[in-house]
Amino acid sequence: MSPIQFQTIGSLAEAEAVRPPASFIAGGTNVVDLLKLEVLKPGTLVSITPLPLRGIDEKGDGLRIGALETMSAVAAHPLVASGYPVIAQALLQSASAQLRNMASMGGNLLQRTRCGYFRDVNSGCNKRVPGTGCPAIHGANRMLAILGTSPHCIATNPSDLAVALVALDAAVAVRGQDGSRSIRLREFYLEPGDTPDRENQLRPGELITEIRVPRLAPNTRSAYVKVRDRASYEFALSSAAVALTMDGDRVQKAEVAAGGVGTKPWWLPRVGDALVGKTLSLDTVEAAARLSSENSQRYSDNGFKVEMLQRTLVRALCVTGGIA
Amino acid sequence: MSYSVLGQPQDRVDGRLKVTGAAVYSGDRRPANLAYGYLLTSSVSKGTIRLMDTTVADRAPGVLAVYTPFRSLKLYAPASQQEGSATGDPYPPLQNPKVRYYGQIIGLVVAESFEEARDAAGLIKAEYDQVKPSLTWDEGMPHAFEPKAIDHEKATLEVFAPGVTDIEEVIRQAPAVVEVTYREPMNHHNPMEPHATTAVWDGDRLDLYDATQAVVGHRHNVATVLGVDEDRVRVICPFVGGAFGCKGSMWMHSPLTAAAARALRRPVQTVLTREQMFTLVGHRPALIQQMTLAANPDGALQAVKHEVLSTVSTSKEFIEAAAHRTSRFLYKSPNILVKQRLVPLDVSPPTFMRAPGNAPGMFALECAMDELAVRLNVDPVELRMRNYADVYPGRGVPWSSKNLADCYRIGAEKFGWAQRSPQPGVKGSGEWLFGMGMGTALYGAHRSRAAAKVRLCADGTAEVSSATQDLGTGTWTVLAMVGAEYLGLPVERVRGALGDSGLPMAPVSGGSQTVASVAPAIQKAAESVTRKLAQMAATDPGSPFHGVPPEQLRYENGFLVAGNQRASFADVLSKLNRGAIEAEETTAAGSEEERYVFHSFGAQFCELKVNRYTAEVRVQRVTTVMDIGKVVNLKAARSQVIGGVVFGIGLALLEQSELETTSGRIANANLSEYLVATNADVPVIDVTFIDKPDLIFNGVGARGVGEIGITGLPSAIANAIYNATGKRIRDFPITPEKILMEGETRAPRVSLI
Repeated sequence: MSPIQFQTIGSLAEAEAVRPPASFIAGGTNVVDLLKLEVLKPGTLVSITPLPLRGIDEKGDGLRIGALETMSAVAAHPLVASGYPVIAQALLQSASAQLRNMASMGGNLLQRTRCGYFRDVNSGCNKRVPGTGCPAIHGANRMLAILGTSPHCIATNPSDLAVALVALDAAVAVRGQDGSRSIRLREFYLEPGDTPDRENQLRPGELITEIRVPRLAPNTRSAYVKVRDRASYEFALSSAAVALTMDGDRVQKAEVAAGGVGTKPWWLPRVGDALVGKTLSLDTVEAAARLSSENSQRYSDNGFKVEMLQRTLVRALCVTGGIA
Repeated sequence: MSYSVLGQPQDRVDGRLKVTGAAVYSGDRRPANLAYGYLLTSSVSKGTIRLMDTTVADRAPGVLAVYTPFRSLKLYAPASQQEGSATGDPYPPLQNPKVRYYGQIIGLVVAESFEEARDAAGLIKAEYDQVKPSLTWDEGMPHAFEPKAIDHEKATLEVFAPGVTDIEEVIRQAPAVVEVTYREPMNHHNPMEPHATTAVWDGDRLDLYDATQAVVGHRHNVATVLGVDEDRVRVICPFVGGAFGCKGSMWMHSPLTAAAARALRRPVQTVLTREQMFTLVGHRPALIQQMTLAANPDGALQAVKHEVLSTVSTSKEFIEAAAHRTSRFLYKSPNILVKQRLVPLDVSPPTFMRAPGNAPGMFALECAMDELAVRLNVDPVELRMRNYADVYPGRGVPWSSKNLADCYRIGAEKFGWAQRSPQPGVKGSGEWLFGMGMGTALYGAHRSRAAAKVRLCADGTAEVSSATQDLGTGTWTVLAMVGAEYLGLPVERVRGALGDSGLPMAPVSGGSQTVASVAPAIQKAAESVTRKLAQMAATDPGSPFHGVPPEQLRYENGFLVAGNQRASFADVLSKLNRGAIEAEETTAAGSEEERYVFHSFGAQFCELKVNRYTAEVRVQRVTTVMDIGKVVNLKAARSQVIGGVVFGIGLALLEQSELETTSGRIANANLSEYLVATNADVPVIDVTFIDKPDLIFNGVGARGVGEIGITGLPSAIANAIYNATGKRIRDFPITPEKILMEGETRAPRVSLI
């Protein structure tokens, strides 16, 4: 038996001392799942639910969301639903209503990959146990990444929320024994390289305390488009978060990120930049979307994602730009 | 013939138990001193286990026993297939170190708790001498073989017009020919309730609480493998949380658990994990179907050729009879050739899965018919009517009752089929393209020998009992309704009893035969018991009817009546000083089987949308009209059809088991990655029944409805996708990338279908 100690902490200071393999737990929607699969064997679970990491408000420079707010509360909040539709849409297309009611925003950003080999302890997996290989590269990889992959790992980052936040250039505030710091999400996630077990810049004992989203420029429209096999409760084949700032009928600024295709939420600055100064049309949008496949790598079952990603971007840009 | 109870929408009599959690399923049993089993399974597809080191597991907390091929429980060979019983894997586990497929049982750990058993199982590592397995079509094809017979006919069956010796000649000369190949992957049943066995011995008697579609067959099979007299075994299963065929056979975790309980002298329970459900309890084989239709310009078929390859396990033969149950007889082509070969792979044994044969076969046949309709520019419904069969091809016998033409007509009307554009890819709005499609539903009407007992009680209630099963389909309610119908009582006064092998014999709840088999036995037993009551009332001195000539005594709606005299059966039984009176009857099919063929039919229509950019398919509405003979419970029958439609959406768009071709592992052996339809995938489903009793088939007129709902919809969906996009996808499930990659995109528009 692998008994688990369960602790609850009431202050951020107590969190600083927590070290792997002990694991934080908030809503538990991912941690408990991985416990049952025996992928996580933490020894100690530290519940952070009592910590004062709540609140959704908009100050001068943008939106602030406490890391322990639930996905459903954030999606339903008027500030988010009206001011940052791409975030609300990404949240509402995630998981199921039951999971969204439990899952925290911070936990969502740290959720582990859905790669079937990572989740099967009888399979090798460099992310789960470094040095045990990556059977996904020649295995069942239809759902896995084409961007940011390495010979050691092709696991997809599963978060929809993170894709929206990367598009909007959001940051997370984190706190640990070295104090507080802010990390842009565009830099927060790490590509697997030869250390696929390292997924982000968090140091041991550090917690995400808050999500900070810059205020959107006037005349900005944003949306999240998620392509998936079934209509609900399924991860993305590909997804796109776009924020289009218009100056009359010309694009002043376009921020684009993609999900379901990358080993991390994939920012596509070249796609966005290609639209700046242009009038939106199927031609301009297609030309920009083609840039998304730069450096992509096809594997046995997921080659279609190169085209699917382009199409997802075209769809998201056309729908957001009102030319669908 | 009129009915008073049958055909009404009746709430489930066990509904309250289900929604309050009071219904006790096999894995819910908690007999005193229960120990928990956890199965160990192989992690290679073929070879021999060299070593299993159990030393750590043996000493792990709570562990009572660890059984392996090297420290086994003796089990015996299962019986050959008997009436109403079937065995899944024919090899009892742990009797030798051979591995025949990935996920095979190679051990059982029994401990004081489930968690301890699972944990100890994780401490055992097996070492294998591996042999390269055969896991792909290419690897299996050299060993493909024809089975001896399929549904009592030849595996290669030619039904030709006089003078025709070669169907290829007919096809060559036909003005219009469609020749296409359809592919389907392996599928798994995935009922919500996993298989669960709780074995409780009392001396040499075994009570086995098990999740099964066949309590009587299961008793026989478990007893045989345990080497005990089946009279010593009782199988109890009042509730099943879904089955779809995977609980129709006995799988080997059941006798293994019972053997462990016998050895340990305490009750043992084994519940399969979801992952184990993918290798230990069967699956639907993968298929490749080649379909050739040759027709005259008016659509009259001249030749139907349907050739099937289906996978099978090297451990056991199983025939997914996709052509013999469909193209063999659905249309009146003068020339029909059906053929099937089996392709053996080193995979776990396949088994029946909802509408075996029909579900995949109708996909191929009804898609090909749609392709022919488009080729000839004939309306797809009209094409089917032009080839409507009134007699069974090659045998000349008619159907006992066939109202398929009404299904087409009513369905088309209710659906608004006339709105369909014959031109594909022209209906769109914004980012979505819209399409309509239809397919015929078809399933055999089956009936087996069954017995039922009807008991009239002095408190004015009645009891109907039979060793049948309720898979979640509504048999509890059917027993009460059929009893109420033929006793003339309100449903509330009739209790059912089922799911116990000690009750009067009934067949497996498979092949949609439960109602068709059991209801006639109830009908006959009800007639018997009321006759018996009248007889006794006429002759017993204590009876109010004493001395009335028996032929003047009638039973009517719970009363005995003679002239002006009337007394309830409760009163009569009280006066006779009897607590109850009962009769048991057995019924079976008779000589009608030589003069008729029996099938249920239907027409299924759907409208769906396909995203113009990214090709997700979303079904928008479904209309389905079913000819299943007499409807017994309108409410539950509708639920069965709805369930079939949901299953059909999964088959067409979502479900596929991913067999890793090097290891034999099922890569998506969980409900996160084996996708079934969610509520959001299921639209409004309009269900209509023709509701014409089939009194040639049986005395109640009911044929059964469990499976037919799945058979027409997958083709309707594929045909609607063609109608929406102009693309034919002949490879299930139809996932977005298959639509995107099919044919040429409209250059230079890379982003639009």
